[in-house]
Amino acid sequence: MREAEIAVEGVSFGYEKGRKILKELSFQASGTENIGLIGENGVGKSTLLKLLVGLYPEFTGTIRIGGMPVEKKNLAKIRSQIGYVFQDSDSQLFCASVDEDVAFAPRNYGLPEAEVERRVERALAMTGTLHLRDRKNYSLSGGEKKLVAIAGILSMSPDILLMDEPSAALDPKNRRRLIGILHELPQLKIIASHDMDLILDTCSRTLLMADGRIVRDGATEEILRDGELLEAHGLELPLRLQGQIEIMSGKMRTDIL
Amino acid sequence: MNRAEGAAREISRLDMLARRDQRVNRIHPLVKFLLTVGYIAAVVSFPKYDVFGLLGMMVYPIATFLLGELSVRDAFRRLRVVLPLVCVAGLFNPLLDQNRVRLGDVWISAGVLSMLTLMGKGVFSLLASYLLIATTTAEALCGALSMLRLPEAVITQFLLTFRYITVLLEEVGRMTQAYALRAPRQKGVHRKVWGPFAGQLLLRSMDRANEVYESMLLRGFSGKRFYQRQRTPLCGRDLAYGAFWLALFALFRFFPVLLLVGGIFL
Repeated sequence: MREAEIAVEGVSFGYEKGRKILKELSFQASGTENIGLIGENGVGKSTLLKLLVGLYPEFTGTIRIGGMPVEKKNLAKIRSQIGYVFQDSDSQLFCASVDEDVAFAPRNYGLPEAEVERRVERALAMTGTLHLRDRKNYSLSGGEKKLVAIAGILSMSPDILLMDEPSAALDPKNRRRLIGILHELPQLKIIASHDMDLILDTCSRTLLMADGRIVRDGATEEILRDGELLEAHGLELPLRLQGQIEIMSGKMRTDIL
Repeated sequence: MNRAEGAAREISRLDMLARRDQRVNRIHPLVKFLLTVGYIAAVVSFPKYDVFGLLGMMVYPIATFLLGELSVRDAFRRLRVVLPLVCVAGLFNPLLDQNRVRLGDVWISAGVLSMLTLMGKGVFSLLASYLLIATTTAEALCGALSMLRLPEAVITQFLLTFRYITVLLEEVGRMTQAYALRAPRQKGVHRKVWGPFAGQLLLRSMDRANEVYESMLLRGFSGKRFYQRQRTPLCGRDLAYGAFWLALFALFRFFPVLLLVGGIFL
């Protein structure tokens, strides 16, 4: 696997003229770390992820992936290095069957059929969905769709994974499976989520977004334990930490005792 | 499941039907496409009173149903919305065309004959199109179209429209379901809401269609390479299959085969 690297410098972007969603946003990431991206609804998390893969080219500032600027001429190469898991799995699963969908990217990159086959099998095995291989996409449950969508991205063998709300629509069992998968995958990952417990479980570093900027970049534990900081930005402590912090501060919740 | 969601599933089922490994499915998509075009051209070119000549053209759909192991009942069930429209086209012919033509010893209303011919043409053309879709995937058809050197933009438009229909139907399903749950005593969507409903539908399905396209792009989709991959070489068996049917279409079109065969026995 190549050395993965993301460098974002002074990036500004807006869907409408005069209304910026991202303002002079900067951060860097490299290696194989898992990075959580948190922030209120509408703060621009999904937009930032889409900018990284060049879906919205009209931004100002610079974005480099593996040293290559995100520009039209580099898009094919950049997109072969980054896997993007959409928030809505239905947007990603457009082929008729699971097998075909997972094979979509390797086939598009012109890999020989034997290699496509190997990658499909490996990706499905990694997400624990090998048994769904011959199923039709429309017959999958929400959780199965999510895992198959992740398999469809893993079959590209990307160096970087961008995930938009990966735990949405997952039941507790599949959520635990997802956490296991995220721990096992060696890629550099950016996980945008409102699921603070997922971020706490999987990410060593967290970026907190507010008002179009990264307002805090640091260790996940440190950020997610800071109740005041989270509250100031419309977020809440992870459920797992809520009880601990209340007990530590002497505020025993009698309603649940 | 409401009707829109049912229709979306029906399209997925049709897609799966096209992916089966039957003899007709294995015929080259370009041959099947050209055969369908040839068949429809032959069918619509029959003279308006030549209903018996037209009957001979039934042989192609019958053979394709058998070779493809397709259900005739399912075909008519899927075409049930369009078939009446096609049939209605000829309903006024008996009133407009009052001539009489002689068939053997019997005089028959020319209007009735032309009505039957028109209905036959419509039904056969629809069946041929259905059989093409039921035995050929959209991607394979795109490959065939690219072999005909059609502009890439046109082929991409076709592929995305095919994908967009499902997205649109799913969105209709969601919206009508949400509407019905909040208007339990109403049948369908009230006409006062048609305007905003259609507008919302358009915006929402455009958003989703855009996401589907983005997802394709991010997984390496580029029209040219994609269609090139769908192209498969034509083999002798495909050409023989195509030539056989084209010859048969020409035979039925230009010679009264059924009447000649009937004459042998009478």
